[in-house]
Amino acid sequence: MVVGDISTGTELLVIGAGPGGYVAAIRAAQKGIDTTLVERDAYGGTCLNHGCIPSKAYITATDLAHRAGHAEEMGIHADPVVDMAGLRDWKDGVVGQLTGGVEKLCKANGVNLVEGTARFDSPTKVRVAHGGEGQGSESIEFEHCIVATGSRPIEIPGFSYGDDPVLSSRDALALDSVPDRLVVVGAGYIGMELSTVFAKLGTDVTVVEMLDDVLPGYEDDVARVVRTRAEELGVEFHFGEGAAEWRDGNDGGIVVATETEDGETSEYDADKVLVAVGRAPVSDTLDLDAAGVETDDKGFIGTDDQCRTNVDSIFAVGDVAGEPMLAHVGSKEGIVAAEVVAGEPAALDYQACPAAVFTDPEIGTVGMTEAEAEEAGFDPVVGQMPFNASGRALTTGHANGFVRVVADEATGFVLGGQVVGPEASELVAELALAVEMGATLEDVAATVHTHPTLAEATMEACENALGQAIHTLNR
Amino acid sequence: MIEEFKLPDVGEGVAEGELVEWHVEPGDTVTEDQVVAEVETDKALVEVPSPYNGTVKELLAEEGEVVPVGNVIITFEVPGEGDEEAAAGAADAEAEPAPDADAEPDEGEDETEAADTPDARVFAPPSVRRLARELGVDLAAVDGSGPGGRITEGDVRTSADTGDDAADEGGPAAVTFSGRSATSRGDAGDGETGEAVGESTPAGRSQTLAAPATRKLAQEEGVDIDDVPTDEEREGAAFVAPDDVRAYAEAQRAAQEADATAVTADAEASGDADSTGTATAAEPVEPAEAAEPVSVAGSEGDERVPYRGVRRAIGEQMQRSKYTAPHVSHHDTAVVDDLVALRAELKPHAEEQGVSLTYMPFVMAAVVKALKEFPVLNAVLDEEAEEIVYRKEYNLGVAVATDAGLMVPVVRDVDRKGAVELASDLGGLVERARDRDISRAEMQGSTFTLTNFGAIGGEYATPIINYPEVAILGLGAIEQRPVVEDGEVVARHTLPLSLSIDHRVVDGADAGQFTNRVIELLENPRLLLL
Repeated sequence: MVVGDISTGTELLVIGAGPGGYVAAIRAAQKGIDTTLVERDAYGGTCLNHGCIPSKAYITATDLAHRAGHAEEMGIHADPVVDMAGLRDWKDGVVGQLTGGVEKLCKANGVNLVEGTARFDSPTKVRVAHGGEGQGSESIEFEHCIVATGSRPIEIPGFSYGDDPVLSSRDALALDSVPDRLVVVGAGYIGMELSTVFAKLGTDVTVVEMLDDVLPGYEDDVARVVRTRAEELGVEFHFGEGAAEWRDGNDGGIVVATETEDGETSEYDADKVLVAVGRAPVSDTLDLDAAGVETDDKGFIGTDDQCRTNVDSIFAVGDVAGEPMLAHVGSKEGIVAAEVVAGEPAALDYQACPAAVFTDPEIGTVGMTEAEAEEAGFDPVVGQMPFNASGRALTTGHANGFVRVVADEATGFVLGGQVVGPEASELVAELALAVEMGATLEDVAATVHTHPTLAEATMEACENALGQAIHTLNR
Repeated sequence: MIEEFKLPDVGEGVAEGELVEWHVEPGDTVTEDQVVAEVETDKALVEVPSPYNGTVKELLAEEGEVVPVGNVIITFEVPGEGDEEAAAGAADAEAEPAPDADAEPDEGEDETEAADTPDARVFAPPSVRRLARELGVDLAAVDGSGPGGRITEGDVRTSADTGDDAADEGGPAAVTFSGRSATSRGDAGDGETGEAVGESTPAGRSQTLAAPATRKLAQEEGVDIDDVPTDEEREGAAFVAPDDVRAYAEAQRAAQEADATAVTADAEASGDADSTGTATAAEPVEPAEAAEPVSVAGSEGDERVPYRGVRRAIGEQMQRSKYTAPHVSHHDTAVVDDLVALRAELKPHAEEQGVSLTYMPFVMAAVVKALKEFPVLNAVLDEEAEEIVYRKEYNLGVAVATDAGLMVPVVRDVDRKGAVELASDLGGLVERARDRDISRAEMQGSTFTLTNFGAIGGEYATPIINYPEVAILGLGAIEQRPVVEDGEVVARHTLPLSLSIDHRVVDGADAGQFTNRVIELLENPRLLLL
């Protein structure tokens, strides 16, 4: 007991108020559990403050500006000007509304909110250091704890986020001016989304990627649609190159040096360099050893299908508990953990976990690809509908991409789907429901879809898989 | 993680086994295929192998205990894949592996009901998964009745009712969370009434919610989705699941089945009634001797007609009866000159009351009198309770040919009615059956069945019992045939009788004595007045 310490007790302590933690806290409080939620920074976590939400605000706004300026074929002539400070203020307003909402919801549900950074003292106690000078700290004893501390951008050698020209995704979403030249390190989903944003703002974007294509983990024909569009927007790609270092350039900018596996070097002039090579768990701030909680060599906390760690009374949800690092998975895990704490037989047994990439065009995927279905022992049948055969897609001015559905030929069960094209992030929801419910191709094909919509493409893809598509040639 | 192991199906049709000896104790390390127990069935002594590499956690059956197939007998501690986050890591953050490493344990090879899908994938919606967790049901061991084998809420509840799945330790008591009632499913013929379980009365709604695949199923089964009864509602409208459609279609068929051989246009004729729904809709008929389906090569020009619908339902009922009840048929002949004369004498009197008098009321009266003296033929075998139920009602099923197929109306309380009343009842039932105006209740509850193949012609047959009844009487044609009397061959009206019995319940002596008594009453019809 340190002098000046306050010691309190709670049934459930949740550490981290991102989409995993705040959802867990609210659900636990709804179940009548005395719940305390500790957050060191901002309610809503990375997702609301520095990730999903602000990036979507930028993507939408820059797309609006770009489309308005490139719609001559529709008879629209405009030359939009983007005021970055204005855009940032609008984005901050959106974020503020959401984070304020999270705080209100927590309070309204009876969650005790504590601001500060939590560290474990023992398997049943944390100490929370309050931010700022002389704010002191307090100890909180708990019966159960849910760790939801999330993740942070990975730094690579030679590129410190502390250096002014080096941007993390978080920094990129807080710029108050548009860089003329930007080098993006990494062609994963964050790199591709932000490359598109800055390309539409008029920045000369160069992407360097160690692997040989954009969006590793996605099928070639899906990634190709996005890469082709990015190239149309002026994004330049260099594959097989790893970023080595940056230095000041002669023109007031910087030079980013890259190196191939064979030792060939290249240099690219830029004003800023954005590093987007993935995210690492925030588990090193917690003193997990004091609680006996084990992590793997990357720092991820191991959990079972009830989100329980190796310590029975301690759970972990969201990014800190490992892949897939997706906000919606964190929220689902938060609910499961809270219900398990409440003594219910909850478990993570979802069959479908959709994911979206907000590039231009968007990607939405769920379940298995054809290759994964084959590997799993199914005899897959595939149906596809290209958006250039969709009336609604043509009227949006963006008809690149397709909807693909993968099903088990023997039973007709929908096993997965890949959508690349306009509103793919929304369209994938229907396929997710199909996979989760164990729907068959026939169920989806026989469901009436509104005309004219993009969603009809999903119906048509299922018809195509059944060999009875109307608007496309059957395989 | 903990894996449960259920007593596997250790032999054809064996429902239980005696656990003779354990070869392992809690704490023992076992390897896959290592023998853990010996189980004796009435057929053999069987060694039960472990499906896992792991440690024995708990033995859940005593040596000497008789264990039903499907009961958990032992649990293993298995070094688990379940310890990892269900979703496998992907190369980068945006990759999205669906967690197919789902919580369902892989069933052992011996688990005969294990879902037969690759990747141990089980197809069931989230609400059903949650229910399974609440009821402690292992989804991998549930046979799905939905399209493509999708598991429904009803499947899980049925499994929970019958499977004796041990609920997870530490899980709370089962909670009813949705407020929705499970698809109702009755037990197999309960021996009290032998009534069809599926509701066959059309619901006649104007609007029904159902998945497209369910609607297609209804179309295939030839039923109107708006007529399918259901207890389930969604957003205030009736919701029909595939199980409901099957149950209703089955009940409809059950209400129309009859001996396929007895196609008679004669109102008094009665086909072999197979009406009162003995198999539940929820329970496919599985004959004890189920053979591999036979494929027929055939030749060009053959006509192939799908074996389904009413035809298949009749087939399944026949198969169930034939392979469940050991049939014995007993044949004899009644000389019925007196009966022919009596009917001719009474016919005009009956007509004055607006009733057409056939032979059938006399046969019914004779049969009921004989049943009272030999009650074992008016019994049913309640297999579940292991009891023979002697029915105290005398309700006789009589089949009628209609445009919609064969129907089997039941004449109730035959023992309390005279010939004219019986004739009138039967006439009314026949008319309503032909007009499709007959209620489900009027086709249920028979305790003994009559089949009149004689309306078409012929003498003897081997009728199949209307299971779970234990006897059926077939009537040949009443014709003049040669009969030897006092060393002379004379022409007499005779009625060939063919009685089939379930030899589990009825012995040959009973059958012979019962038939003798029926013959006596038909040869001296005035005895029916006593």
